[in-house]
Amino acid sequence: MTAVEVQQTPTAPEAAAAPAGTGGLLRRVLGRIVVGVLAVVLLVFILGPLVWMALVAFSKRWKAPALLPQSWTLDAWRNVFTTTPLGHAFMLSLIFAVAATLGSALICLPAAYAIGRSNFPGRRVILLGLFATNAFPKMGLFTSIATLFYGLHLMNTALGVVIVQLLGTVVIMTWIPSAAFAAVPPSLIEAARDAGAGPLRVFFTVTLRLAAPGISVALILAFLACFDEAQGSYLVGAPTYITMPTQMYSLVENYPEQAAAVFALVLTVPSVLLLLLVRKHVMGGHLAEGFQLR
Amino acid sequence: MTATDTAPAAPAAPDKPVTPSSGARSPRRWSMLFMASPPVLLVLVFVGIPIVIGIAFTLGYTGGLNSIASMLSVSVYTANGWMPSLAAYGNVLSSERFRSDLGVTIWVTVLTVAIVLVLAWCIALYARLSGGRLGKMLSGIAIIPLFIPVVIGAYAIRQFYLNTGFLVSLGRQFGIQLPSWSYHTPGIVIGQVWVSLPFAVLLISSGLAAVPNALIDAARDAGASLGRSVWSVMVPMTTIPTVIVATFTAVGVMGSFTVPYMIGPTSPNMLGVTLQATFVAYLRPQDAQVIAVVLFVLAAGIGALYVWANARASRSSAVQL
Repeated sequence: MTAVEVQQTPTAPEAAAAPAGTGGLLRRVLGRIVVGVLAVVLLVFILGPLVWMALVAFSKRWKAPALLPQSWTLDAWRNVFTTTPLGHAFMLSLIFAVAATLGSALICLPAAYAIGRSNFPGRRVILLGLFATNAFPKMGLFTSIATLFYGLHLMNTALGVVIVQLLGTVVIMTWIPSAAFAAVPPSLIEAARDAGAGPLRVFFTVTLRLAAPGISVALILAFLACFDEAQGSYLVGAPTYITMPTQMYSLVENYPEQAAAVFALVLTVPSVLLLLLVRKHVMGGHLAEGFQLR
Repeated sequence: MTATDTAPAAPAAPDKPVTPSSGARSPRRWSMLFMASPPVLLVLVFVGIPIVIGIAFTLGYTGGLNSIASMLSVSVYTANGWMPSLAAYGNVLSSERFRSDLGVTIWVTVLTVAIVLVLAWCIALYARLSGGRLGKMLSGIAIIPLFIPVVIGAYAIRQFYLNTGFLVSLGRQFGIQLPSWSYHTPGIVIGQVWVSLPFAVLLISSGLAAVPNALIDAARDAGASLGRSVWSVMVPMTTIPTVIVATFTAVGVMGSFTVPYMIGPTSPNMLGVTLQATFVAYLRPQDAQVIAVVLFVLAAGIGALYVWANARASRSSAVQL
């Protein structure tokens, strides 16, 4: 999973053009060591907590200063599946995430097409306005929304949770697909038209097909954003609707450490699987490329 | 905040999407505007209105859509007829708790942005200059948190830096007493850096990849040292992604809840946690709204920086190709 591998990695300008001789050699060896140490620190910083948590999930007895558990067990896994509301929370998460993603696609994809393929009045204002949803600090926005939801009787309702999750996907669902629509070469579309294809046929066989990777990246990122959304769902949904991420908040306080670790691992699986599917596209720049508003 | 916080991306080439035949015909333009309106309406209703009525609420307008929230509150300050009341602001802004939380929020935000920028730059620059396998591996590792839900990451980090966690245990193997950072402010910074790093590395690497090798080689040929050519060629050409990373990280960290809630101390903690507690536990939606407005104002300042950087970018884009 590398950021650079997909962006036609340029051949490095000779970084190691250090002057020859022992001084140069010493410097190079020292440089290698420094880089190596920093790499290990980064590895521990990023992966350490996750590995540690995975070990906890299989540990039976683990007394403090030891770096590995003294004895192992699968009990925590059995307990999580039988005693915690894992299945219920998982189903709830799934239903909300699917509903919010579909709703978001329905609302945003036509807009993405319009923004990507034409230059109508107010296009730039719309792009900036949608973007502004991301420029508000999340928790502040959520309490504002909650105040409105009280007024509209949407607090503690399924619809309320879906709306909160959907709001988090609007930018993903308009910007990434509109970039994909914009990237379809007009010459291809005109060629298809010249060959006698009707507008609908052109849309489905040329435009949509070429934009499909971008759209699927957006769909998966939006689904994951909903599936993992914790803060807003917690504020609007709890205590009636407890999704998996919001369950984590109470689980870590009320269950043994092992159970929380197992639950956490289970919750990680869908994200990792789905993100691996679109890894290439995400790293390839659908996310980063042309991030500027123009 | 997982992908939500880190995911926004702009259309790649919004300058050129106009199909040659479409521009002139205005009916098509209006239908396009119509097609683009649903997300705008959604955002207006569920982001715009909440913010407006939220601000009205803080000024003491407790009727209308705010009436249920007022009913559920322990106490509210009410406007005197049409005259707004600033009592809620006075109450919150003068409280000791708020001030220390604001301090923590600003400190954590500044530190996180600084650390994330330095780390992401080091990783991206090393990967760009060395071009080797280690460089790719490092940026690959830095992106892993993107794959992990924030709740999970925050929980794992809390356990890792507890006094029964890895770091303290490792120190004790060698007889060294290392600090336990969980439930302390440094733990929050660690968590925020962990969560924010992938986005920063992705953007800065792609910014650095856009610097042509020819330019770097030319600088080197003209006798510039490696450091010099990084400083005067690569840094200026990567300013925009850097500003984007800084602003997004800052806003994301400022409004975050999960990381400080999981890892941070009970008090003082970041405003996101205070906000949630004020709203849910203390039943003071009005005070919570005041805190939200403070966060919005801080974010607006940062947002202005972002807009400025973009404006500068589009002005110089002719030169940049």
